[in-house]
Amino acid sequence: MRLFLKGLGKRELATSFMLILFIILFILPFVTIGLKSVSVGWRWPALLPSGLSLDAWRSIMKDPKLIESLVTTFKVAFLVVLLNLLLAIPAARALSHYMFKGKSIIEGLLLSPILIPGILLAMGLQFTMIQFGIADKVIGVVFVHLIPTLPYAIRVMRAGYERMGSSLYEQASVLGAGLFTRFFTIALPLLLPSIRSLMLLTFVISLGQYALTAIIGGGTVITLPMLYYPYFSSSNDAVIAGFSILFALLPLLFIGFVEVMMRLVIRAVNRV
Amino acid sequence: MNGRIGLLSNNWKISLYLLPAFAITLLLVGYGTWSAVAQSFQTIDGEWTIATYAELFSSDAFFHSLKLTFRVAILSTLLSLVIGLVMTRMLYELFKVSTWKLLVWIPMLIPHFVAGYLVFLFLSQSGLLSSLLYQIGALENRANFPVLVQEEFGIGIILTYVWKEVPFVILMLLPVYYEIDHRYSEVVRTLGGSNWDAFKTVELPWLLPVLIETSVILVAFVASAFEIPYLLGVTRPEMLPVRAYEWFYNGDWSKRPLAFSAMILPGVIALLLATLSIGAVQKHRLRMIKGRSR
Repeated sequence: MRLFLKGLGKRELATSFMLILFIILFILPFVTIGLKSVSVGWRWPALLPSGLSLDAWRSIMKDPKLIESLVTTFKVAFLVVLLNLLLAIPAARALSHYMFKGKSIIEGLLLSPILIPGILLAMGLQFTMIQFGIADKVIGVVFVHLIPTLPYAIRVMRAGYERMGSSLYEQASVLGAGLFTRFFTIALPLLLPSIRSLMLLTFVISLGQYALTAIIGGGTVITLPMLYYPYFSSSNDAVIAGFSILFALLPLLFIGFVEVMMRLVIRAVNRV
Repeated sequence: MNGRIGLLSNNWKISLYLLPAFAITLLLVGYGTWSAVAQSFQTIDGEWTIATYAELFSSDAFFHSLKLTFRVAILSTLLSLVIGLVMTRMLYELFKVSTWKLLVWIPMLIPHFVAGYLVFLFLSQSGLLSSLLYQIGALENRANFPVLVQEEFGIGIILTYVWKEVPFVILMLLPVYYEIDHRYSEVVRTLGGSNWDAFKTVELPWLLPVLIETSVILVAFVASAFEIPYLLGVTRPEMLPVRAYEWFYNGDWSKRPLAFSAMILPGVIALLLATLSIGAVQKHRLRMIKGRSR
């Protein structure tokens, strides 16, 4: 051990220390709640649980409200991701490849939801959305979830387009490729990392909304966070831990699904 | 790309590309803001009045909440920036390998309130850290453990935000670190400069715009987010978003204008902050383009 430490320089030592700190701070907590969710009687001052059981998971899975809200959550998040893709990709393309009058104003407006409190906007929109009959519905909730997601989606896609440059696109159009061929054979494969980040980011942001969903959903659109808060004030630790793990698993599940879908799309496009 | 490609001229194409996102944002932000401001100046019967603001500004509780909100926002932003910067500086070589970079994404994957739960689990009086200290004999009773969550200063809230935003800061800074020509740092060191000199003269000019942008995003976000303070805060003083939410959802509709006006102030402050700092960044960018340091 000593020899090993001697072999390392001061800088390497600092780097490995940082890395260990990083792992303790960001990975260990997940292992802990994972363990917590299958534990019984893990109380102060025990450092490890006194027994293991799947009771907490059973009671989570038995909750009929949970399955329903899981479906609602996926519905909302899926639509939010889809809308973000449809809105952000063309906007990012325009912003990254063209100069035009009033560009900075448009950029400013598109990024403004980052600065203006989302909760203020949702409260402001609520009355009008009731009048138009889209409050208390999934579609209304999807709409307000665009406030915290769309600016980030545009940002991510824009960075992707800027990295891609325009030379390949120009080459393709000189060779006579149409809009769709160009998009599917050049932009899509090259933008894949950005699209992946966009989907993951917007999914996670949508998954984490409580206040916006509560204000516009009005207690009829029950997404998972609506159930998490009451659970938090209940005292069964293992159940809260299991619920938290569920929140961490959903994005992974989603990104796995997306990955498979994207592979299929690309394969289909390549065949055509 | 000057000529026409395809059927549409460039101007038409640009408008078509931008219109959907632009229209939706204008509707959400433009109409939302207008409606919120209008409702803050109206009584519940629709009469125009400034009584709401008068009531708000004469209440001590509001100023306590405002102070708490911005204290938490600024402290958690500064801490996240410093820690994120130090981690990025030390680990950016490592993060070139994509497996390590995945590590940074992990905390980004969970909602804020789950992060809040983690802080509660580890740092509350009967939490795991307190257990650990008891086991090694550093603590006699759990009551001796300092109250870190659900107390007036907002320590638990700040810690949660720092935990959640440090990875965000790292992901914002990494691309800049890959852009910097690190041979300049070698030059500084060869000429006898310290590490700090290298950071100040080589890295900081590159980092400054991103650092400012990130901090504006974080301050605006923390000052207006509801999820964490609702979970880890105390009732008095409450952070403004929680206060506003409760006014809004309180059965008493006459409190609704208060909810709007209470959130408008942090919004205005965040906007001012953004305008000022974007102005500063523009100046800085111009200076970098002209190639003069002063």
